[in-house]
Amino acid sequence: MLDLLVIGAGLTGLFAAYTAARAGLRVRVIAHGAGATHWHAGTIDLLGNLPDGEKTVTNWTQAVPELPPAHPYRLLGIDAIAKAMDEFQSLTAVAGLPYVRAGAATDLTASSPQDERTSQRSDSDEQVSDPNLGRNLQLISPVGAPRPVYLAPAAQQAASLEDDRPLVIVGLQGMPDFYPELIAENLQKLGHRARSASLPLSRLTKRLDRSPLHLARLLDQPAEQALLAQMIVDVTAAGERVGLPAVLGLNAHTALVTQLHEATTARSRPSPQSSHSQQAGTSIFEIPTLPPSVPGLRLDAALRTQLTGLGVRVEIGMKACGFHATGRRIQWLETETGSRPLRHTARNFLLATGGILGGGIYADRCGRVRETVFDLPLTAPQSRTQWLRPLFLDRRGHPIFQAGVSVDQRFRPLDQAGAPVYDNLWAAGSTLAHTDPIRERSREGIAIATGYAVAKGVVTSQ
Amino acid sequence: MQNATVNSVGLSLNACIKCNICTSYCPVSAVTDSFPGPKYAAPQSERFRDFGHPYYADAAGPISRPLAGGQMPDASVDYCSGCRVCNEVCPTGVRIAEINARARARIVAARGLSLRNRLLGRNELLGRIGSIAPGLANFVLHNPIGRRLAAALFGVAEKAPLPRWHHETLNRWLARTRAQRLRSDRKVVYFHGCATQYYEPYVGMAAILVLEHLGYEAIVPPQNCCGLPMLSNGEFTAAESHHRRNVARLAQYVDAGHPIIGTSTSCTLTLKEEAPELLDLESDPGTHALKLATWDIFEWLRERLDQDQLPSDLRPLDQSGQPFILPYHAPCQLRAHRIGKPALDLLAQIPGLDLRESHARCCGIAGTYGYKTEKYQIAMDVGAELFDYVASQTSKSEPDSEGSVSFTACDSETCRWQLEHGTGLPSRHPIELLAAAYGLYDLQARRPADGS
Repeated sequence: MLDLLVIGAGLTGLFAAYTAARAGLRVRVIAHGAGATHWHAGTIDLLGNLPDGEKTVTNWTQAVPELPPAHPYRLLGIDAIAKAMDEFQSLTAVAGLPYVRAGAATDLTASSPQDERTSQRSDSDEQVSDPNLGRNLQLISPVGAPRPVYLAPAAQQAASLEDDRPLVIVGLQGMPDFYPELIAENLQKLGHRARSASLPLSRLTKRLDRSPLHLARLLDQPAEQALLAQMIVDVTAAGERVGLPAVLGLNAHTALVTQLHEATTARSRPSPQSSHSQQAGTSIFEIPTLPPSVPGLRLDAALRTQLTGLGVRVEIGMKACGFHATGRRIQWLETETGSRPLRHTARNFLLATGGILGGGIYADRCGRVRETVFDLPLTAPQSRTQWLRPLFLDRRGHPIFQAGVSVDQRFRPLDQAGAPVYDNLWAAGSTLAHTDPIRERSREGIAIATGYAVAKGVVTSQ
Repeated sequence: MQNATVNSVGLSLNACIKCNICTSYCPVSAVTDSFPGPKYAAPQSERFRDFGHPYYADAAGPISRPLAGGQMPDASVDYCSGCRVCNEVCPTGVRIAEINARARARIVAARGLSLRNRLLGRNELLGRIGSIAPGLANFVLHNPIGRRLAAALFGVAEKAPLPRWHHETLNRWLARTRAQRLRSDRKVVYFHGCATQYYEPYVGMAAILVLEHLGYEAIVPPQNCCGLPMLSNGEFTAAESHHRRNVARLAQYVDAGHPIIGTSTSCTLTLKEEAPELLDLESDPGTHALKLATWDIFEWLRERLDQDQLPSDLRPLDQSGQPFILPYHAPCQLRAHRIGKPALDLLAQIPGLDLRESHARCCGIAGTYGYKTEKYQIAMDVGAELFDYVASQTSKSEPDSEGSVSFTACDSETCRWQLEHGTGLPSRHPIELLAAAYGLYDLQARRPADGS
């Protein structure tokens, strides 16, 4: 029998499954569809804004105590969050898709996964005295605004706004929804030295499909990689940091970023800033695009590969349609098939189905809000009139987006009386109440930290 | 047409949140511009196709403007292979592949059907004609001149992996071995499908031998094509008459409570879901009863395993004690059942079997898709992901010389043919492996171990 059935294949579910399987548990992941990793920027946003909407967070370790007491981060505490982040960073290093924090000076694009593991270990040893613990990076958003991020894929590190090298934002003519001029102009308004350039996409592909994913697959090919490198060198000057849409390869991503970095720094033309640029790490960075998000797909693929290695099956296309419980124990979950319901028996169940966007919570037009798998009691506005505040851009956000499952310290869903509904059911990620992850910019942080905590909790309870 | 089915397929497009996950996974649009991707072809284009759907009705009644030939804005929908990977990954439950299948049927209704597509839909008829003289049929179809003629006259791709007629159909084998067949109070019905009947009767033999080994009598009643090749080619009227005939022929067994078990994942999927949904037959009582009675063989065997009813006399497939490395591909049509990958659970019981699960999206062939000249290369490009995976397992297993890859496994017949075509390795149905592990079946020669 399975020790843990994870319901949901987003970042929460996959990372929880990874953590539990590494501890020796028998785990399976099922999900209605592919996870929300495909929509997000690939960065780990831990806490960018406080709920009052007034303050931008520069260091989350200082901001977490200001969150409301029922917030998932307050249930976890700073140490537990930091530990989960370290574990996640180790996973990404092992998977060959290293994630970095603010202040990580090394040129990570050039290092192999093996080197990564070493640097990661020294990182966590120094954690106690680490001045960068909790410090957010400020990266560049697709409209050229600052974007607070805690862990960034190495290929987004050079987008840091603390870096004072001049910026050139390079677009691809014919690629939809990426506007280098807009990004550069907004960066200039923020006081950065920025300009834009664009490359003729027609030299790279004759296909009509110019989605980020298609371009990333194209750039897995050596010939196109060499052509892109040459075109970038032609439009950029030495000493400039080069921002590109996040399409720099899918499987050959690290090699391509390294190649582009070398091509832009090894140019013969001397420049006053060139010595500076070589110290400050990579000169190439990616700016996230609209979905399909290539950095998100890379992260999903890295997690799935690790799970396969641990013998964990991830089965997609399974929609929950019922369950059976005896007393306070869930015995099995049922999913819809082409014919009869399919039964999934397990010792523990993790609800990682996401919020309203991910499908874990459904709000109907009559104002009812319900949890879609176990019909758990929800903490949500009582009536539809209370869903939204009158102002669309109200800084405090809208109450409906905090709707979710209330949990105890061990992340077990609670009933109205405050007692766990089931002894072997756990909840993590965006399905949790008392947080508005998109507005707080805490979505991936909550996914990783709560998913990790639940997995550890299940391991302990075995 | 106003019933629940129209709502479940047609209106499901309203659940689309334009997240592009389907586009990320579509194996066809990844390799060709001929197909713009599931999101564009299904939920987005469907809004602009008015074919008299009830939900376009206004106060004056349903709005219906049948499209004139040549004015089809979205004939690219014909390049959807129907693999249903989009349905699998869609997080909001849009029935994308079904929307495309219906759109194709409406194009066929407006423009007519090519002779080639009509022929490809007549798998059963071709099977029956060829079996009159299998040797002659194989000679005609499997020589270079025959293939070139078929390509030139009908547009059947010259290199596509066509099956060979077997010298004996499954029914003739059953008649010949009638005395050896198990009689029991515990009965199941075996649905063989056309490919097993005419081309691969040994898959049916393996299934029947395993069922009998478990103590079940396998009833093989008269049956006909499930209709899927016609559904895939947009020929819905013919598909409906085939489906209704099956419902009538199987009704007495369904009513008696016997499970209808199949080894062809596409036939069982059609009985369970495709025919009821696409043909608006979900409220037809016979169709519904058959839907609930139908099982994929490994779905049914997994229930036996879970209830400890599976005989444990499984032996290693390689008697020399070497690990037997087996790359397994769960075909899209099996994944569309949404029953997980039950063959993995069963094959894992075989001692010494080193199972390797493919995560490739599709082998490319998608039923009759890869047999069409204009789509052959697309199908091969789609399949490259799977062929490369198998090749990587082969090369990985060589240096340490701890066994080698001599077979691949896949539940669906056309996918196995495509796998063999793309990898050069023989491919087997998992039931053949299970039967061999029970000592009932010769995996190499593909016949019962007792020589029957």
